[in-house]
Amino acid sequence: MPPSVLTLTNVNKQFGDFRAVKDLSLSIPRGSVYGFLGPNGAGKTTSIRMSLGILAPDSGELSILDHPSALQVRSRIGYLPEEKGLYKKMRVWAIIAYFGMLKGLDKKTAKARSHELLEKYGLHEFAEARVEALSKGMGQKVQVLASVVHEPELVILDEPFSGLDPVNQQVLEKLIRDMADNGQTVIFSTHVMQHAERLCDHLLLITHGTKVFDGTVAQARALIPRRITLETPDEAGPLTSLEGVVNIVRDGSDTQRWQVQISEKANPQDILKKCFTEGIALSRFEYTEPSLHDVFVHLVKAEPATEEA
Amino acid sequence: MSLGMIRLIAMREFVDNVKTKGFWISILLLPALLVGMVILQARISDAIPTRYYILIDQTGTYQQAVQQAIDLEYQRRVLQEFVSYLLANRKDRDMEQISADAGGAADNLIDTVDADQSGAIQDWMDNGGLDYALVLASPYLREDAPPFEAPDRLFLAADLPGEVDPNSPMDEIISNLRPYLNGERSISAGDSRGSLFALIMIPENVDRDIIRPGTLPVQRDGTPAGIQYWSRNLTDDRLPNAIASNINREIRDREFAARGVDANLVRNVQATRLPMNRLDPLAAEGEEAVSMADTIRQYAPVGFVYLMFFSLMQSMQYLLSNTVEEKSNRIIEVLLASVTADELMMGKLLGIGLSGLTTIGTWLLSFVLILALYQSEQMAVISQILDVVLGSALIPWFVFYYFAGYALYSGVFLAIGSLCNTLKEAQSMMMPMIMIQVVPLAIMVAVVVDPDNTLFRAMSWFPLFTPYLMMNRMASNPPMFEVIGTTVLLVVSIIFVLWLSGKVFRHGVLRTGQPPRIVELFKLLRIRKQSEAL
Repeated sequence: MPPSVLTLTNVNKQFGDFRAVKDLSLSIPRGSVYGFLGPNGAGKTTSIRMSLGILAPDSGELSILDHPSALQVRSRIGYLPEEKGLYKKMRVWAIIAYFGMLKGLDKKTAKARSHELLEKYGLHEFAEARVEALSKGMGQKVQVLASVVHEPELVILDEPFSGLDPVNQQVLEKLIRDMADNGQTVIFSTHVMQHAERLCDHLLLITHGTKVFDGTVAQARALIPRRITLETPDEAGPLTSLEGVVNIVRDGSDTQRWQVQISEKANPQDILKKCFTEGIALSRFEYTEPSLHDVFVHLVKAEPATEEA
Repeated sequence: MSLGMIRLIAMREFVDNVKTKGFWISILLLPALLVGMVILQARISDAIPTRYYILIDQTGTYQQAVQQAIDLEYQRRVLQEFVSYLLANRKDRDMEQISADAGGAADNLIDTVDADQSGAIQDWMDNGGLDYALVLASPYLREDAPPFEAPDRLFLAADLPGEVDPNSPMDEIISNLRPYLNGERSISAGDSRGSLFALIMIPENVDRDIIRPGTLPVQRDGTPAGIQYWSRNLTDDRLPNAIASNINREIRDREFAARGVDANLVRNVQATRLPMNRLDPLAAEGEEAVSMADTIRQYAPVGFVYLMFFSLMQSMQYLLSNTVEEKSNRIIEVLLASVTADELMMGKLLGIGLSGLTTIGTWLLSFVLILALYQSEQMAVISQILDVVLGSALIPWFVFYYFAGYALYSGVFLAIGSLCNTLKEAQSMMMPMIMIQVVPLAIMVAVVVDPDNTLFRAMSWFPLFTPYLMMNRMASNPPMFEVIGTTVLLVVSIIFVLWLSGKVFRHGVLRTGQPPRIVELFKLLRIRKQSEAL
């Protein structure tokens, strides 16, 4: 297990009567792309703000880049907040350079890196434009660049994909991959599972301030059983005897549709073969890998909603 | 705290302001306005059109007195202009040497002249008296002084329209002249025409209405007693006053004559007087005489209070709007992930402070430039005033009170800004702060006239007023214990306010939703743990 860049131990945060984060513990390995998932109001942003030292936890331990407070290692962290905004009157290259300088870059390097990044991610023609002239999506891209211009070891992006069109989402995915290739640790929060699925090594899912899952994408998928959907006029019961079939359920008494739950080790091919040998006439045989989306919905629903936000 | 970060934030804040057009427009507006006002003031008197009047004297005995009154009024204006011309164009620019009351001398002269002397003054003027005076004065005038131009007569007698019979009853005269008086018809005066400015009516039996000590004013139904002055202009009382005082002089002369007293003798007795010299006990020996420079110095604090008010208001506006922008844009979150709240606050204070200094610097520079490029009588006066003010001991005090006022008010405004999410919210919260600053502005002239007023002295101890009021009183050398006491109190409150607003700022900047109520604010301040973690 590589060393951890961010560790939270039993962290709590309460706003008035509302418990935003409850006993959250996590450990993020160096060099990983870490997805921070959860429905709206789950406590993602609060957890991120606490990690960055913008908010102080009510209780619990926190360690970031081997320091108890992010303020001590500010220049090694890059941060994109959930709500995006930039100084409207500044020029694009200048604002990226300014944020770089706030993170300790000298003026020359900051300017050079700013232009470099704009060039690399297709914004060089806007370098001299004022921020107020940019579209919302463009502005967001600029802000992402501004948050990583100092090449931080740890990048925390809060909802980086929201508000971007599909093309720009791809650009952002590329940026995240580039940073991962560069050995930087990237943490990002989202509620769009496709991005997490494509990018993340590790996932953390929280709802109502509580962690409900922490692990790899494969582990997440394993959480919900794989299933095969069959349509047949015949009785599908004989399949039960097959190794790896966990359970067969008919979708209601008068349909021809059956749901076959299979274990991780089971091979769908074997089930198809068994259907032929047993003479089960198939009009449909559909095997689907569970998507993260299914996992997400499954986990969020499983978590009882005791405290409404 | 990292000085580098503070400097970085300050510079961005500064450049952000200085780069906008609005900043420069608002700065340059003030000198432009001031210069405009000075020029305008000079033009206003030239721009007054000739005012035509009609005098109907049914007694036939007061006509001369009225004519004299009008002549004297004109002569007074000519002499006044002549004095200010001499003052503006003299070679010797040292205001210390000029009496604070030079214009008053001309007034005195006119006030004491006799009826027949008025004619003499006119003769003297008509025969080149002013030219002669100019020749006498020329060694003391600048070589490039423009020639003196006497002002035109302001009041001219108009011809009585043919349809009006001066001996008809008053009601009839008034109804005949009404169209002229209310501007419906114009009236002719020799070759020119214009609107009738005033009608002076002296009824035939006006002497019945003379008021003597011990008698009650005559009550009559309908028509008012005494002389009637008809004019649409209700504010310019120079003409009615001059006429009234001259007619009264005439009446008194007759009273004297009736009692066998020589009116000239009385007047000569009345004209005897002792000069009143105004001396300043605080001035060095030999320089106690109150000069023009002293008067200017006395009033200079008013200018400083103005300057302070405008510059502080501008700075506070920027401080507030920039903070609210960062808050509403949520840039604040990125900033706080990079710098501490204290660094951010200090950076903002410094950056906006620099903008404020730029404002004052630009004002001074533009004055110097205007004075250098645009030379005229009025400008000459301004430059002399500037010389006196810049040479006075007030400048160091201004610098001190400006910075103190800035630190105090910016602390308050920064806290307000950090609690608001929109400019609208901020504006309603800053209204009371503006009102507080308007108070010293409203009383600044009264403070100069009466600097030791107990109320003003008490108000000086209120820290939000101290910079304004003490600056205001500085020219009259307030008691040392007050200067030291208020300064100590001011500095202590600055430290307190900055400490407090630092706390509010740290909590406020990340706050969303409604601005907190007062109770919440106190609660906020009591959460120490959080603030220390930040």
